[in-house]
Amino acid sequence: MSEPVLALDGVSRSFGPIEVLHGVSLALRPGRVHALIGENGAGKSTAMKILAGYQPPTSGTVRLDGAPTAFASIGEAEARGISMIHQEFNLAEQLTVEQNIFLGRELKRGLLLDKPAMRARTRELLDLLDCHVATDRKVSGLSNSDKQMTEIAKALLRETRVLIMDEPTAVLTSAETAVLMRQVRALRERGAAILFTSHKLDEVKGIADDLTIMRDGAVVWSGDASEKDEHAMASAMVGREMRDLYPAKGPAPGEVVLEVSGLNVPGHAEDISFTLRRGEILGVAGLIGSGRTETFEGLCGLRAATGEVRVKGRPVTIRHPWEALDLGLCYLTEDRKTRGLLLRKGMRENLTLQALDRFTHGLIDTTAEEAALDKAVREFDIRGSRAVRVGNLSGGNQQKLLFAKTMLSEPEIVVIDEPTRGVDIGTKQQMYGFIRGLATEGRAIVVISSEMQEVIGLADRVLVMRRGRVAGELAGAAASEDAIVRLAMGVLPAEETVA
Amino acid sequence: MKSPKIQMSVVGPVLALVVLLVLGASLNPSFLAWDNVTNVLARSAFIGIIAVGMTFVITAGGLDLSVGSMAAFIAGLMILVMNSALPSLGVGIPIVLLGMAVALAAGLVAGCLNGILISRLGIEAFIVTLGSMGIYRSLVTWLADGGTLSLDFGLRTFYQPVYYGGLFGVSWPIIVFALVVIVGEIAMRSTAFGRHCAAIGSNDQVAKYSSVKVARVRLTTYVVLGLLVGVATILYVPRLGSASPATGLLWELEAIAAVIIGGTMLRGGFGRVWGTVIGVLILSLIGNILNLTDLVSPYLNGAIQGAIIVLAVILQRDTRQGQ
Amino acid sequence: MKHFAAALAVSAALAVPAFAQDGETKVIGVSIPAATHGWAGGMNYFAQATVERLEKVYPNLDFVLTTASDPAKQVNDIEDMVAARHVNALVVLPFESEPLTGPVQNAKASGAWITVVDRGLSVEGIEDLYVAGDNPGFGRESGEYVASALPEGGKIVVLRGIPTTIDNERVEGFQKAIEGKNIEILGMEHGNWNRDDSFAVMQDFLSKYPQIDAVWASDDDMAVGVLAAIEAAGRKDIRFVLGGAGMKEMVKRVMDKDTMIPADVTYPPAMIATAIELTAVGLVSSAPVSGKFIIGSVLITPENAEGYYFPDSPF
Repeated sequence: MSEPVLALDGVSRSFGPIEVLHGVSLALRPGRVHALIGENGAGKSTAMKILAGYQPPTSGTVRLDGAPTAFASIGEAEARGISMIHQEFNLAEQLTVEQNIFLGRELKRGLLLDKPAMRARTRELLDLLDCHVATDRKVSGLSNSDKQMTEIAKALLRETRVLIMDEPTAVLTSAETAVLMRQVRALRERGAAILFTSHKLDEVKGIADDLTIMRDGAVVWSGDASEKDEHAMASAMVGREMRDLYPAKGPAPGEVVLEVSGLNVPGHAEDISFTLRRGEILGVAGLIGSGRTETFEGLCGLRAATGEVRVKGRPVTIRHPWEALDLGLCYLTEDRKTRGLLLRKGMRENLTLQALDRFTHGLIDTTAEEAALDKAVREFDIRGSRAVRVGNLSGGNQQKLLFAKTMLSEPEIVVIDEPTRGVDIGTKQQMYGFIRGLATEGRAIVVISSEMQEVIGLADRVLVMRRGRVAGELAGAAASEDAIVRLAMGVLPAEETVA
Repeated sequence: MKSPKIQMSVVGPVLALVVLLVLGASLNPSFLAWDNVTNVLARSAFIGIIAVGMTFVITAGGLDLSVGSMAAFIAGLMILVMNSALPSLGVGIPIVLLGMAVALAAGLVAGCLNGILISRLGIEAFIVTLGSMGIYRSLVTWLADGGTLSLDFGLRTFYQPVYYGGLFGVSWPIIVFALVVIVGEIAMRSTAFGRHCAAIGSNDQVAKYSSVKVARVRLTTYVVLGLLVGVATILYVPRLGSASPATGLLWELEAIAAVIIGGTMLRGGFGRVWGTVIGVLILSLIGNILNLTDLVSPYLNGAIQGAIIVLAVILQRDTRQGQ
Repeated sequence: MKHFAAALAVSAALAVPAFAQDGETKVIGVSIPAATHGWAGGMNYFAQATVERLEKVYPNLDFVLTTASDPAKQVNDIEDMVAARHVNALVVLPFESEPLTGPVQNAKASGAWITVVDRGLSVEGIEDLYVAGDNPGFGRESGEYVASALPEGGKIVVLRGIPTTIDNERVEGFQKAIEGKNIEILGMEHGNWNRDDSFAVMQDFLSKYPQIDAVWASDDDMAVGVLAAIEAAGRKDIRFVLGGAGMKEMVKRVMDKDTMIPADVTYPPAMIATAIELTAVGLVSSAPVSGKFIIGSVLITPENAEGYYFPDSPF
């Protein structure tokens, strides 16, 4: 096997008195894809940041080409061929694709920028990545996958030898993921060492050559990826045997609580009709951009919409989110970082924000708030210090807190958009349990998800959307992955649609 | 590890204030005399009352540049109304009440206009209030015909106790300022309104998705600020009994500076009313101390003021990074 | 303008036959700072009134009056006047000397007659006519009055204006006038020609000095703030306050023999009227008006106050 190009050797890292990484060793070799997996908070991000020169280790050594190295800055690591792509992209939103790719190393002709040369080179790099976005588009208007490709193109331009990607597929659709995987393979052929993390174990299985599993800040297993199947990976990550990821389906649902007919959300969805029963989980599947999120935002008064809506048989008009909440209807956003939680505030303020009137009798009763937080922490198993800002919690704990926040206003009808985006498998299992529990309590639930397995495993019935319309509805055994994909893509032969 | 740092953000502005007090007391014995203390407090009251309102606006992620000229306009309007009602009402309590009602109503309307343009039409607060700043300033110049509007002499004498009088030796501006601060501190700390302001200033998308009535809360912050400008004007007019195009000049910047010195974040999301009070006192004390001593050339007053503002904010900086 | 004792120093050498009245309409541009404080408000009032009056008197004269809130705006105004209105004469009260010198020079190059008011330009010899108040004289007049009102000497405090050459010249004139008269200046601070600022400064003076015999407020707006502070503190040791500029309320108090305001010193905002009138005369007649016209500062006392009282003026 080739010599490692970049390696951690017994690296530990402390924040204040708390050690979060304990003697981690990890080796990245040229021409190989290395997957790093573990639950949220297992130390993957810290390990990656140390590799990429964002943070120095507290003890232990970082080796580049075998020699101990200390990067003085990110810039130095970059100059030596190491690039890291963050989960939240590191792009200047108001600049174009081409300006972003050349940011900091613009080509010049004399004093002026050599725009044609930069444009040509950008095109070349994007073509290499099979990405067809226009080079003069503003990044703010790009899809997540195009942003991802822009990041990779940026790394390519810098002649990267080591590419480190933090959950690159978390925000991608399956088709986009397939494109990305193809590019990763191409980079591997060119001799780059690639490290990536993912919560999607099937992807890991599909592409990784080497595998490292972390738990609680230490490496619990490292070796050839072919030696572990998905089930064994999950068990090693969680530290216990993973049996049933999805809870058992509930009893037959009760009466209809929500009837939607002919709902139009201008520009995103039209003529959406469906019903929802008490105790039922309705799954909503469809490609990203099929109008799933917008439909339900429209329903809950978060964007302009028209159509007929009946809650418990009574026709209602919902123009604002608080009107929806008064009717017991609540939407839990897919975007917890920019729409769900106040990242600079603590847990208590976040938990009670939506249901603040329940804690206010003239003045806010902070004791009652604390009590509610105690209860939420217990009930939803939220871990992490209460003193820190919510932004410093792991993704899984943020998601649980968001969940607790929504449930505090006791909605009867809950729309949950992407309940497990970017959370680890242990938390996923917990979330599924919570959701089924809510349904069993008698609430009506809508789960919007890009993960086919999740929709099938969790929902009693599945609504498939395509291009802003309901493409079909599937229930019971009919709700197979194959059937959903066909409806979502609007084509018949399954072989052509699954990349 | 966290606790000493968190305390430092509290201690920062207080420390700056204490340093100023010690400095003042050591340079001139009359600094701590009752008269000087009440002078400084009463003087701080106008900016202070406005700055309390500004704390809410800034916490909710907004800004209001128009308060200084709004105060001048309201003062001018109040004087005109009172002078013209004089023949029918005569000197007495009714005419003073009329003047106060005019000031409050004008403040309410002015705040509403700013708030509606910002929260309903979604225009940048900076632009809206820059515009209204110019409008009110030139309206008062027009009302005063370029000169000075003066309250009728007899009326002024009758109205004067509202600035100079008081209870138990404490003058009205100080009492009103204190009341506004107490109510403001409670509102910021433990009402849903205060919490919602902080949420909107932190991230208005999150607030929207949490069913907070974002536009209404924003509008309310500007209306409250307008009302407080009206209150400040009610206390200002009896002092000199006049309004001119120079009235309230740069009050907006002083109010904003006081808010920021007090630890409220300019980008919004976090605010504290008691900090604003400290900020206001720091600003007034600098001027007072420089007047009471001959340490530096008066030409350098601005430089000293600027240096202390920056220093007070630096004292809090470590904390923000640490949190 | 008979009210103002004028020291007219006209250089008779330069007559102005070029502007002789010939039936053709001529344009006079007037560019002044906006009414941002009392004195400027009065100046605006007199400029407007004069323009209105002269338009009736001389049907073949056209006036363009602009007010500017900052030097940059004033530069634009003047450039527009020259380019778009082809002014035959320009009356300008410069916001600041430096930035306005170039544009006025250009106006001069276009052939226009230049009248500069109150503040000189940084290059000499541009203006055909210079009309100004007498700042050192203003200070001297004030100083002499204070010295005469405190014959046995005394302790005073001084409020200064916005730090400018004007303020410096006044204060120097004042200090020279009280030299050797046993008058001690306890303190000097800038009240910025502003009522609120002077109120605060005076409050602090009162805290700092237990005995003050008199106050030179140097400006009537500042005198208003000073008087309010003294009244509020209930101090009886201050015998009088001397303002300046000739604000109508203050002149009225002098007229009414108010002991706190026994006198005032003029610095008439109506000097703009003098400038416009003289320029108009120069344009329509062959009377020579080039040179310097310095309007002296006069002491207003109860005896002569009536002649300086203009109830209609905003100042």
